[in-house]
Amino acid sequence: MFKYVKKLQYPINIKKKDLRMAKYLVTQYGGPNGELGAALRYLNQRLTMPDDKGKALLNDIGTEELGHVEMLETMIYQLMKDATLEEIKEAGLDAHYAEHAKALFPTDANGVPFAATFSTTGDALADLSEDMAAEQKARAVYENLIDLTDDPDVIGPLLWLRQREIVHYARFKELFEEYEKKYQKRNTPQDKFLYPNVDIYQLDQYPYYRW
Amino acid sequence: MNNQYFYDNWYRQEKEQLMNPQEGLTKGNLFQNLYSEYKDYQPMIINFKTEQEKMLWGIQALSFAAHELNLYLDLHPNEQSMIMLMNDYNNQLNTMIQEYEKKYGPLTVNNSKDNAVFKWVSNSWPWEGYNV
Repeated sequence: MFKYVKKLQYPINIKKKDLRMAKYLVTQYGGPNGELGAALRYLNQRLTMPDDKGKALLNDIGTEELGHVEMLETMIYQLMKDATLEEIKEAGLDAHYAEHAKALFPTDANGVPFAATFSTTGDALADLSEDMAAEQKARAVYENLIDLTDDPDVIGPLLWLRQREIVHYARFKELFEEYEKKYQKRNTPQDKFLYPNVDIYQLDQYPYYRW
Repeated sequence: MNNQYFYDNWYRQEKEQLMNPQEGLTKGNLFQNLYSEYKDYQPMIINFKTEQEKMLWGIQALSFAAHELNLYLDLHPNEQSMIMLMNDYNNQLNTMIQEYEKKYGPLTVNNSKDNAVFKWVSNSWPWEGYNV
């Protein structure tokens, strides 16, 4: 189960309202490479990981992503909370206001609502490849977002979140490489010809199969 | 081989590859070799306005360091030096949390020790600029 801890993973204290930035930042909350999607993806995939390491890593990174969702929520809330109706209209957030007022709603930067467009295949190598790509894409989006602002209170947490993507990528890559050795099915025509009766899944236990 | 000597040495070596918890939280990274800068941006240095903010930063730093070691240990569950370091951080963390909660109220609802008024509702929320 999950328990709430009344603190952010990294402190956020944005003093200046900036609706334009709120509008862009929301994509890392509910967009295709956002933290909400990441959390759900890892917390889905953890159940069918083939060994203990995979289950633990997907569980623990998935849990951290929920903490990042909270960080993004906090940033968007603080950027929006003091805005006047005039400013909301000016920033092009009037459509958002019509439906949600100043409440949060997970969308991408164009207002397209959150959708779980990723898929979990149940194949650890395929799933981890997707996770590695997702971390890289999220890193790239954080860099785009950093380019779009000059408020140090916003850049700080974005830089921090960007670095987390790099660490997660490295951990997924390490697991991927281990699984590649452990689970990749070798089934070349040559193997089949030389060893028609050998179960390819058992090859690791067959010491002389290559020379 | 003298096992204890081996582990002590190993522990020291591995510690050198790690940032300390404060630097780790500042940069979002504990393992030196994984840190990567973006352009010439530097990590934010936070000025603490209150004693509470400073204390919470200490808690965040230790739980961050323990979490980074957790992710590492998921893939290297037998590395004794890292386990020892994580235990060390977790022990320090528990002491700090107890101190913090005595002064500023519970961080998790299970640690609520009120008799009359339920403080969990009133000691504001992280997104409101408290407990951040």
